[in-house]
Amino acid sequence: MVLGELLPNVNELFEWKGVVGPHTWYELNKVGIMALVSTVICIALFWIGGTRRKLVPVGIQNVAEAGYLAIEDNVSLAAMGEEGKKWTPFFATLFFWIFFINIWSVVPFVQFPATSRLAIPLFLAMVSWFTFIVTGFVKQGPKYFFSNINPSGVPFALKFLVIPIEFFSKYLLRPLTLAVRLFANMTAGHVLLAIFAIMTNELAVERNSGMFQIAFAPLPFLGLVAFTAFELLVAVLQAYIFTILTAVYINESVHPEH
Amino acid sequence: MRIRTLLLAGLLAVGMVMAMPTGAHASGGGPKEVFECVEKAIENNTEGKSVDYEAFENALEDCKKAKSLVTPALPEIIWGGIAFLIVLAVLMKFAFPALKKGLKAREDKIREDLESASRAREEAEAESAQYRAQIGDARSEANVIVEEARADAERIRREVVARAEAEAADTRERAQEDIRLAQERAVSDLRAQVADLSIGLAEKVVERNLDRDTQIALIESYINSVGNETR
Repeated sequence: MVLGELLPNVNELFEWKGVVGPHTWYELNKVGIMALVSTVICIALFWIGGTRRKLVPVGIQNVAEAGYLAIEDNVSLAAMGEEGKKWTPFFATLFFWIFFINIWSVVPFVQFPATSRLAIPLFLAMVSWFTFIVTGFVKQGPKYFFSNINPSGVPFALKFLVIPIEFFSKYLLRPLTLAVRLFANMTAGHVLLAIFAIMTNELAVERNSGMFQIAFAPLPFLGLVAFTAFELLVAVLQAYIFTILTAVYINESVHPEH
Repeated sequence: MRIRTLLLAGLLAVGMVMAMPTGAHASGGGPKEVFECVEKAIENNTEGKSVDYEAFENALEDCKKAKSLVTPALPEIIWGGIAFLIVLAVLMKFAFPALKKGLKAREDKIREDLESASRAREEAEAESAQYRAQIGDARSEANVIVEEARADAERIRREVVARAEAEAADTRERAQEDIRLAQERAVSDLRAQVADLSIGLAEKVVERNLDRDTQIALIESYINSVGNETR
């Protein structure tokens, strides 16, 4: 009850006024700005790392190369084998862009991950979905549509059950699960941080119920610190999960036998 | 080819999400939804005896934002999509190829360096083996030279000794000859002097008793006896 009174309407944590063109289809709000800034950061990182090169890498070049190779080893090669190397640029773009829009959740004075709004996760999930479906058709031709949902080695009787499940799973649910996984995790993290921040503020600064409240302030504050660190991990982890699942799905399109 | 596929996928994704029936503006639902929300707020806050204006105000405020959290906002999709497509195009077209080129160049350089190091090592090993062989040859050659020198020295020593011995024998022979000649000369000289002395002595002793012939006969006899004694 107390929390309920303290906390703002949950929409207030996620709604942002438009900076450009409010109430129009091209309204640019905090989410859009964060997406664009993340794009600039990503491009700057890899542009500098990729074009101003030295034989022995230092600074940004080192970060860019290490990041690229980490994606190649842990996503492309891990999920697709040697053929995955060709896909590394796509996976690296996906991973780093998601990472940079996630990481806003712990950046002081911003503290809001753009992925805690469904729009961007849904868009990315659609990109992933179209990519693996288009790749499937390109690599396997029209038979991809059926072979994708007809796993080999399943007894004939079970196929009546398996094929509809696979159809729903692969063609309808995958983009949804990809989007919701990213969105829900980032939203939950953002709400958690907001709750701990508001509690700390109430106990340490507002003290509506009296000075004694200040004694309890360290508890939510420690929680805030811990969850900020945790959010950092979540930001990386969710970007990685989204990317590797995309890689796994694309691999299924490239190698139907797997 | 791949980048085109991906961009196509991106554009399709934008289209698909935009076409979703739930797609709505960030700043509120349609007029009907807002109307229903306000109607509900009035109902909820005028049921009791007293009207809760504050709660009503809050409810109205919420109506402005009354939208499910899971409703994707169209402008955010558009801006997010644009941002992602830009980053995708720029990174895949320019940044990553440059980065991969650099990585490849470094890989090649490292491989080349390793190969050249390996070649240098092989060459060094070959040279070292060659030097060892040369040292072995030199050693055996030195042994041969030492042996030859030793043999030469031995031969020269023998020659020198033989020559010295021959010279010594020669010298000794010459010395003996000289001694013999000197002895003969001395005997001859002695004989003459003895004869002269004897004659003189005999003349003085028997000057008046013996005639010349007797004296000569005596002297001859004396000399012969002296000669026999010295021989």
